Amino acid sequence: MRLLKTARWITVLGLALLAAVYVRALAFTPVERVQGAAQKIFYLHVPAAIWTEAGMVLVGVASIFFLFLKDPRLDRFAEASAEVGMMFGTIVLTTGPIWGKPIWGTWWTWDARLTLTLLLFLMYVGYLLLRGAVTDPGLRARYAAVLGISGMCLVPFVHLSVYMFRTLHPQPIVLKPSAPSLPGDMLATLLFSFVVFTILYVGFVTQRYALALLREQADQHA
Amino acid sequence: MPENTSYMVAAYVITAAILVGYAVLLYRRTLKP
Repeated sequence: MRLLKTARWITVLGLALLAAVYVRALAFTPVERVQGAAQKIFYLHVPAAIWTEAGMVLVGVASIFFLFLKDPRLDRFAEASAEVGMMFGTIVLTTGPIWGKPIWGTWWTWDARLTLTLLLFLMYVGYLLLRGAVTDPGLRARYAAVLGISGMCLVPFVHLSVYMFRTLHPQPIVLKPSAPSLPGDMLATLLFSFVVFTILYVGFVTQRYALALLREQADQHA
Repeated sequence: MPENTSYMVAAYVITAAILVGYAVLLYRRTLKP
């Protein structure tokens, strides 16, 4: 299947470029004076967080269109985006506490941003569990679409929680109304990492989509 | 060497493990009949 092969190559490219991100972040990006080496976790945590949020937005958008158009490609894409988004959410929820321990002195606190991010992750888990639990393809797609739209509605609260609530979590320094408040070297590393995470998202989602398509074709032949 | 380097190393190792692990998982799933 050509789509699957293309997706594999995109993923391989993404993983190769991830190695380049590691080299740039660890060897060619200055160490932040106050936080020290732990600040470099930011170059992985932030792109993963952006794709955790964007992944759920895309699940929601595909779900809305699915409910109107009943196109199975949209349902397949939503499923793929949810699985990949959950994987990026796992990175966010592991790298965040690893940064928090040396900087805040604690692995976890029930702060608004952290709690809402955990809730978003649990929405992903619930979405995928629901898909696994319903056997009828039509019902599964409809139920999952409703949950996907609900998950999308949570994303603005996750992103804006640092403005809406008193929180320990740092304020956005790139995705905010004013210009990014980050030195050039650090901003370039962050943007490079974001591009690589985007390539990985595309590669993984396309691979997952192709896998779902292959399974559907196998089920039809069975 | 700053004292929190070990946290940075842990985060980088775990992230690579998750991303490479997921890529391998997807590859193996496509091999299944």
